[in-house]
Amino acid sequence: MQGKKKLDYQNLRLLKTRRDLPAPTYPGLPVKADEEGGCGVTGFAASVPVTGRHIFAPSIQMHNRGNGKGGGIAAVGLDPDTLGVSQEILDEDYLLQIAFLDEEVRPAVEAQFITPNFRVDHVQRLPRMDDWRELPGLVVQPPEVWRYFVRVKPEVLQYFIQNNRLYEIAWRKVEDEFVAQNCYRLNQAFYASLGEKKAFVLSFGRNLIILKIVGYAEEAALYYQLLDFKAHVWIAHQRYPTRGRVWHPGGAHPFAAMNVALVHNGDFANYYAVAEYLSQRHFYPQFLTDTEVAVLLFDLWHRCYGYPLEYVIEALAPTTERDFDLLPVDKQRIYRQIQAANIHGSPDGPWFFIIARNEPEQQRFELIGITDTSMLRPQVFALSDGEVQIGLVCSEKQAIDATLASLAAEDPRFCPVADLYWNARGGSHTDGGAFIFALEEQNGRRLTCTDKFGRCKTVPWYQKPWEGTVLELTAERWGELGAMIKGLLQDSTGCSFYDWVVKNLVKWPYSRFHEALQVVTRLSREADELKAGAIAALTLLLDWHYDPVDKKRSHLIRLILEALEEICDQTPIIGADHPSRYRLVTWETRGTLTGAHHPEGVLILKATDFPPEGEDCDARFLCRAYELGWKRFLCYGYRGQRFLGCGFGPASDGVRIDAYGSTGDYLASGLDGLEIYVHGNGQDQLGQIMKRGKLVVYGDVGQTFMYGAKGGEVYIMGNAAGRPLINAVGCPRVVINGTALDFLAESFMAGDPLKGGGFVIVNGLEFDERGRVRPQATPYPGSNLFSLASGGALYIRDPYNQVVAEQLNGGELVPLSAADWQLILPYLKENERLFNISLEKDLLTVDGERHPPEQVYRKVQAVKLAVLTKVSDDWD
Amino acid sequence: MKHLRNLAEKAEEALGLGWTPVRTPCRFRNPLSKYRVWRNEAKCIQCGKCVEVCPYGVHSKVGKFIKRPKSYLCLGPACEKNSFYCVANCPTGALRLRLNPVYHTLGDSRWTADLLLATWWMAEFGTLPYMDLEYRIGASGGGFDKLRFIFPPQIPDSKLSHEDISLELSLNQRNDGRPQLTLSVPWYSAGMSFGSISLNAMLSRLKSAVTYNTLMSTGEGGYPEILYPYDHYVVTQVATGLFGVREDTIQRVRMVEFKYAQGAKPGLGGHLLGDKVTEAVAHMRESVPGMALFSPFPFHSVYSVEDHKKHLDWIKEVNPRALVSVKVSTPTDVDMVAVGSFYAGAHVVQLDGSYGGTGAAPDIAKKNIAMPIEYAIPKVHQFLLHEGIRRQITLIASGGIRTAFDVAKAIALGADGVQIGTAELVALECLRCHQCESGRGCVRGIATTDPELTDMMTVDWGANRVRNMYHAWVWQLKEILRRLGLRSIRELVGRTDVLVHLDYYKLPVDDDLRRSG
Repeated sequence: MQGKKKLDYQNLRLLKTRRDLPAPTYPGLPVKADEEGGCGVTGFAASVPVTGRHIFAPSIQMHNRGNGKGGGIAAVGLDPDTLGVSQEILDEDYLLQIAFLDEEVRPAVEAQFITPNFRVDHVQRLPRMDDWRELPGLVVQPPEVWRYFVRVKPEVLQYFIQNNRLYEIAWRKVEDEFVAQNCYRLNQAFYASLGEKKAFVLSFGRNLIILKIVGYAEEAALYYQLLDFKAHVWIAHQRYPTRGRVWHPGGAHPFAAMNVALVHNGDFANYYAVAEYLSQRHFYPQFLTDTEVAVLLFDLWHRCYGYPLEYVIEALAPTTERDFDLLPVDKQRIYRQIQAANIHGSPDGPWFFIIARNEPEQQRFELIGITDTSMLRPQVFALSDGEVQIGLVCSEKQAIDATLASLAAEDPRFCPVADLYWNARGGSHTDGGAFIFALEEQNGRRLTCTDKFGRCKTVPWYQKPWEGTVLELTAERWGELGAMIKGLLQDSTGCSFYDWVVKNLVKWPYSRFHEALQVVTRLSREADELKAGAIAALTLLLDWHYDPVDKKRSHLIRLILEALEEICDQTPIIGADHPSRYRLVTWETRGTLTGAHHPEGVLILKATDFPPEGEDCDARFLCRAYELGWKRFLCYGYRGQRFLGCGFGPASDGVRIDAYGSTGDYLASGLDGLEIYVHGNGQDQLGQIMKRGKLVVYGDVGQTFMYGAKGGEVYIMGNAAGRPLINAVGCPRVVINGTALDFLAESFMAGDPLKGGGFVIVNGLEFDERGRVRPQATPYPGSNLFSLASGGALYIRDPYNQVVAEQLNGGELVPLSAADWQLILPYLKENERLFNISLEKDLLTVDGERHPPEQVYRKVQAVKLAVLTKVSDDWD
Repeated sequence: MKHLRNLAEKAEEALGLGWTPVRTPCRFRNPLSKYRVWRNEAKCIQCGKCVEVCPYGVHSKVGKFIKRPKSYLCLGPACEKNSFYCVANCPTGALRLRLNPVYHTLGDSRWTADLLLATWWMAEFGTLPYMDLEYRIGASGGGFDKLRFIFPPQIPDSKLSHEDISLELSLNQRNDGRPQLTLSVPWYSAGMSFGSISLNAMLSRLKSAVTYNTLMSTGEGGYPEILYPYDHYVVTQVATGLFGVREDTIQRVRMVEFKYAQGAKPGLGGHLLGDKVTEAVAHMRESVPGMALFSPFPFHSVYSVEDHKKHLDWIKEVNPRALVSVKVSTPTDVDMVAVGSFYAGAHVVQLDGSYGGTGAAPDIAKKNIAMPIEYAIPKVHQFLLHEGIRRQITLIASGGIRTAFDVAKAIALGADGVQIGTAELVALECLRCHQCESGRGCVRGIATTDPELTDMMTVDWGANRVRNMYHAWVWQLKEILRRLGLRSIRELVGRTDVLVHLDYYKLPVDDDLRRSG
């Protein structure tokens, strides 16, 4: 990290002042008051202030990650006018938000903790809905929240400084500490120590607010009327507490520390140890949840110890194993010290944090996502650049898409498709498992995205967003283009149209591209053949990578998706008397489902309004349609609906599903015969226990992909996240063109691939911004590959021999034999057909030269491990 | 297919609870016994007096030849006072009666020699043993072994007969539109995988489940085709290794069981050593023969309660008719886990306590990690009551349920029903020798997949043994209910007032059902 500050030892004097804090008395050990696990988390940072309604859509979509018993939102970088204060007060004053569970204690709270200590510049009761019962989701009345803009009275602070001899410490730091302690004492008096809980501090810090509710997160936004409230950074959390009755939102996320709001997905296995570590440093949990100790850790390390962000992340998610060895030596030295000092405070278990914070001295708003070392929780990051910039981090991609769609609907400068989507690799030497979106003041706010080590994530500067121009399709142009495109669409594979577009993309502005799509949309109405051609052609444009030249791929994708949606929307609805073999069914028309009217009938399902799971979900609907004789499905408009392709049962051969949009978890899990094509990224748990059939994903896939799979043919265009193919058996045959985060094919038991067993081909490739295939920095970055595997094999494209035996735990690296090549060749050919990744030009060509396969691919095979075959030898 | 299934069902169901025990003796030449009658062949004059006097059939003869005494039928020293006491009657003093020296080597404190012998007795005859075998409890010095029923001195309802008493257990309390699944007895068979036990053992358990209209869990080792005709009575397990779990297997059954953890080894996952992974087992699990199989801990796709809900939703989507059961071990926050499972949509929460587990579970884990089941049941029962959801979920206890008394005690503590495993293996003549995991496994041909060892037992024999034991259990449960004046096992749920703990109750207490009440 450049410009690294020397650790400020004076800060430690501040820590000493905490010795006088009244330590809470727990009945017994401090144990978690509640179990909670997953939860849905989402957050975004935009270069322009956006209203709270945009946190609404993703929150609703993550309902199934919460249970309506705790939700909350936080916002950073607020608008002074809405708050009724001047910019100066907003920047300089501490913004305290206090929730009064019992309105009667407000005078007492103010008399004890506000008026004696603070100069109050502005007080306000938060506007709210008149009657909480209007929100049907709420079962208890949300607390009254009061907002105070305050500074510590100079004489009070002076006394604090004198008393504790804090002369050499910056005034502001002392003031921060004083405010933090004051909030702690307030909670202690009115929340933690009382049997009855009466009031607690929701948030404290500058230019930052938190609101929480016993309900879903968006209900907080509704109840406290934040829909038109503007801020740069928003985070939200849907909680899933397991206890049935929750009567106040104290335990809901986000949790606050000075200038920080933190939400969390997961839980700690070492809560007690962390709480103990903190209490030795005079930080005491008051709400008894994991998340609270996490924010206290952040506060301790960052504000009190003065660790730069990189070190805080290291303390939270230590770099270990091979990743540690691959760090530069000077980093290793520092990290070793950090780990030695703080490892017992480091949260253990599955967790993923999203942090929104304000760094007032630097005029910086930050949104941070940090994942744990084992990457046990799902996480997706996204970045969009252009006239406005936005960085997003969520527990699932569909929440990102929902946010962007919501933003784009209101402000055309936002694109519903982000430029980049990626996962962080927890505790790694590559990105450190954390990304920071920072908004800095540069004639308005500019967004930068960096990883833990400060390396920037950028998109090409020369690719410009769509400015929104739409050409009118005149009769003349229609005459000109119509006939020509009609000819191209006769090709039912869509290739002719695809080639024509790609060739012309160099000279076309967005408007011409859009015009061509308009023509296609109109033509698709004319005949089934044209519709098939149109869908195929647009699907190719959506799936394959090509050079967008000076345009942004994300914006082209957006236009293609809109065109595809229009084509689908125009399909005759189910039950209609129409010669077309296509039929559309939506949530509203689902009741009219009939058997297939045509042997080649295609059922187009608009999944948008279907619930994501349960008896009425789209996945069950498809199973019913299949029982009625439908075999060919095209599903679009997904918003995270789960289980697509599950439940068709065995012998579902000959069925094909094409899915567009943000498909959900567990897609194709249990697949036994049918084919599913996912035109976009997949989410988590795809292809679990898959037996037979084919799955093609034109993008990345999430966690535990093909866990416990038994077979099937699978092609992935991009990367897999953590733990793909874990515990897979039988004969799965998988091509992953990207790579995996870690733990690929752990406990793989898929027989001998040369005798009908299974294998995985890892190509380690990616596409650059011009649509060209290029190798990733390393074909496999993780420390664990093929661990404890007893069967199957891995074929990895590794022309530079970057994969080392150290990464294997049980397997062995062997050269590729001719038989191996014969085995994988057909799969690579199919891969070429599906993804346009050329066997000759992309896979076997290294540094411009064609190489024989055995110099490009290496095989990892199982060795007989003593641990797997040893018999207990008690009798010997 | 469906049609066939229905036929099989009807045929088997016809038997129902009307099963009449079929005497199914020990497979081995000399059954083990508590007492042993020795005949001194040098003194014996083959007069046949003993055959004449003994009403229990200890002595028998073929032609003129007097067979070796069947000691396991003998009353023991209690017989001394009888006129037909063979030792006293023998004119030459050739007979002696002693405690069988093998008796001391049998069993352990949970499964005492008495309990093993009594269970074998039930499996052979379907009745309670008439000699002084303790058939209710073990000698662990705690838990169920220190709990006793207090029966009212007068039977509250003298007209109540066994026919009036219902042992039915309905598994779907959610009212969520999924089918009801009512078992005729308050227990079903716990998951033991093909691989950990033989196919014959599996089928024996399953066939008795069919007879008694209850269920058997496949465990995590696939769904052998031979079980297909009995789909209706099978619970298939989705465990962390996902071995043999396919959409097909999930769609076959009426209930799917998620195994999150096993009480005998929480946090450890499953483990099948290389030697037991024979060709057949490897085929079923689609793995490599001879290579040990690990089920990871936990589910790689489930790290939180909301993942857990998603996981359940998935199985419910795949089989819209199935109920889902969640098997968890008993950590200190087991109550939270149960509530979480309820909100995730489970119909059944199964608490697996720390006493269960075959010999393959590591000793360090067994009984040392999880909470004993008799603590977990009331904890969860009370918590669910307090949350107001107790009536919407079925609570099943497992892990060390050995006897009908354990069943009744678990229910009185707050469970709706139980799962049993080891007790059935004991009915199949398991010796509790703890060698399940070594080499090819079991000397008794139960926990093995070695073809030669497997053939030591036939399915018919095994099924009859388990049915006989079930028969004895049904009688005992009904008798317990009758003595308490309860008409249904449902009325016993949570009735801790009918139990006493010997540490806190100093008066003499006797709940032996063989004594008239």
